[in-house]
Amino acid sequence: MTDTIIQTTGLSRNFKKTRAVDTLDLAIGNGELFGLVGPDGAGKTTTLRLLAGLLSLSEGEATVAGYDLRKQSESIKKHIGYMAQQFSLYAELTVLENLRFFADLYDVPKEEMAERTENLLQFARLTEFTDRRAGHLSGGMQKKLALACTLIHEPKILLLDEPTTGVDPISRREFWDILTNLHLNGTTIIVSTPYMDEADRCSRVGLIYEGKLVICDSPRKIKAELPGEMVEFLTDEWQKAKTLVENLPGVLEAQTYGEALHLLVDDGDKRLKQITKALTKNGIEFRGARIAPVRMEEAFISLIQRLEDDNG
Amino acid sequence: MSFRHILAITRKEFNHILRDRSTMILVVFTPLVMLLLMAYALTVELQHIPIAILDYDRSATSRDFVQQIVSGNDLDLYAQVGSIAEIEDLLMHGDVKAALVIDPNFSRDLLAMRGMPMQVIIDGTEPESGGFAVEHIASRAEEFANKALSTQIQMMGFSADALNPLDLRIRTWYNPGLKPRNDLIPGLISMVLGMPALSVALALAHEREHGTMEQLMATPIGRGELLIGKMIPYIVAGLVNVVILPLLAISWFNVPFNGSFPLFFALSALFMFAVLSMGIIIGVFMKSQAAAMGVSFLMIFFPGFFLTGIFFPIVSMPEIMRLESLGMPGTHYATITRGIFLPGVGMEILWPYAVMLVLLGFSFTGIASLFFKKKLG
Repeated sequence: MTDTIIQTTGLSRNFKKTRAVDTLDLAIGNGELFGLVGPDGAGKTTTLRLLAGLLSLSEGEATVAGYDLRKQSESIKKHIGYMAQQFSLYAELTVLENLRFFADLYDVPKEEMAERTENLLQFARLTEFTDRRAGHLSGGMQKKLALACTLIHEPKILLLDEPTTGVDPISRREFWDILTNLHLNGTTIIVSTPYMDEADRCSRVGLIYEGKLVICDSPRKIKAELPGEMVEFLTDEWQKAKTLVENLPGVLEAQTYGEALHLLVDDGDKRLKQITKALTKNGIEFRGARIAPVRMEEAFISLIQRLEDDNG
Repeated sequence: MSFRHILAITRKEFNHILRDRSTMILVVFTPLVMLLLMAYALTVELQHIPIAILDYDRSATSRDFVQQIVSGNDLDLYAQVGSIAEIEDLLMHGDVKAALVIDPNFSRDLLAMRGMPMQVIIDGTEPESGGFAVEHIASRAEEFANKALSTQIQMMGFSADALNPLDLRIRTWYNPGLKPRNDLIPGLISMVLGMPALSVALALAHEREHGTMEQLMATPIGRGELLIGKMIPYIVAGLVNVVILPLLAISWFNVPFNGSFPLFFALSALFMFAVLSMGIIIGVFMKSQAAAMGVSFLMIFFPGFFLTGIFFPIVSMPEIMRLESLGMPGTHYATITRGIFLPGVGMEILWPYAVMLVLLGFSFTGIASLFFKKKLG
């Protein structure tokens, strides 16, 4: 791995009665695209706010871009771009005015302003909306403008808190294309997301559960951690089929996706035969039975379910 | 301190005020409307109070007396009635606010100099109009008695002046004729000019509610830069009203402006600084606009009414309230506005108040930046 740009040891943050972040040990390398996933309330937002210097640490140590988070939280700010979950732009200001406002606050050299705003507007595909008020942009365009505002000072590190929540799929795809470009240019990106297809696009993913980092690895390895294999078949009578197969031996979990039924089983080849037999015997018509690749979604749900079972 | 940062915040805030209609109304027009409304509401003179009269005497003298009572535009004769029951009915329905009952012995006793027996009944649920009626009936009765008796006294060989042993000559300085508006309006101006403090408190709370504050905190902007940048547009907006409101007072309400306008403007700028710093403190502590609004009313407008001496003289307050009133920028500014409007005094008198405004301004800003952290939660 390349050199570490963010390092936390035993990082904790308490609120009145709860421990939102619990002894978090995290090492993020320069240039990584790191995904932060976990259920709502797991501590993703608190973690990002801590790293952005917006919350003081209760316990532990952390360095961001070489600065001590405890003592130098103000010095960190010019090196990071932070986009809050409810990033809200100044609705009365135009697209260009919003960009200039943040350029001023980050002391972007005046002679570079024109070029940078031009590039960012193009990058975010907002060039034709330069003079439109931010409040009159669509949700997806607002997110892209927000990202442009956090990029105006060319930060080394980007901290993005659920940047695509509530955005339509096309804007979401565009947004991630932009992130991938930034990643290729060497920017370190930490992004929290509720979408598992987005987690799949990260170089590494950390799963936070009840304030703790439970797993932290590449998506490929996390999916490989899943105990067993995925069996998929399509049927019109999926309700009947689900009740029938989920109690068969060797079936660990059953999920439906429209007309598709996904089953997590201990041994793919062996159980596929058993299941087709059981379905035929009960007169349930089906097609396309196969061993399917595991997706991040199943790996994530399975992990969370196991964690919840352990907690009783 | 970076001038560029302050300017960025100020420019953004100006755009917000100019482009957001509700903020614009709050900042620029509310003080004007408040001044107009309060000036009219608080200087209303009671007129045409309806009364009923029950005359048991029915003599030429008592008829003259009734004529005298309703001769002005203060009291209107609603009805001459024949019984107490009728009076009760009229009072119950609210048709009259007071009733005058003239005794059967009215003229006999008056001419015999034994007094003038009569009774006034008032509606106690409206003590304002009732009291007004009593006062005006009493003064008319006195006039009537003086006229009726002066002939008799002269016949007895005395001077008519014997009825008025006291010769009191009152001179009212600075506000000849004691016109209530001349005194009230400068006081009201000092109060409504505190409005921008509410706006700045709301503006800070607005940024918190909309999440833009979190974004600002993630930038390298200094705390002082943010607060100062935020304050400047509201000081400017306040100073616009510092020009408009005295013009309105002079041209519309005919209030004299005897002092120096540049001095008034300069001291008003000090007041803006002090009162806006108070607004900033509220904005720093309150997390929502609703809370900021409530606390602003408690901290700025309520004391503005009761502690600044506009309506109730400070000297008659309990010690603790007098001390509290010293901490209110409005107290000192009310003295300044009234001083400049009416007697037209200058810095030789007003300097202690100016010093107080500066002191309060700096202490409030100090407290605000001390408690304003660039941290959430």
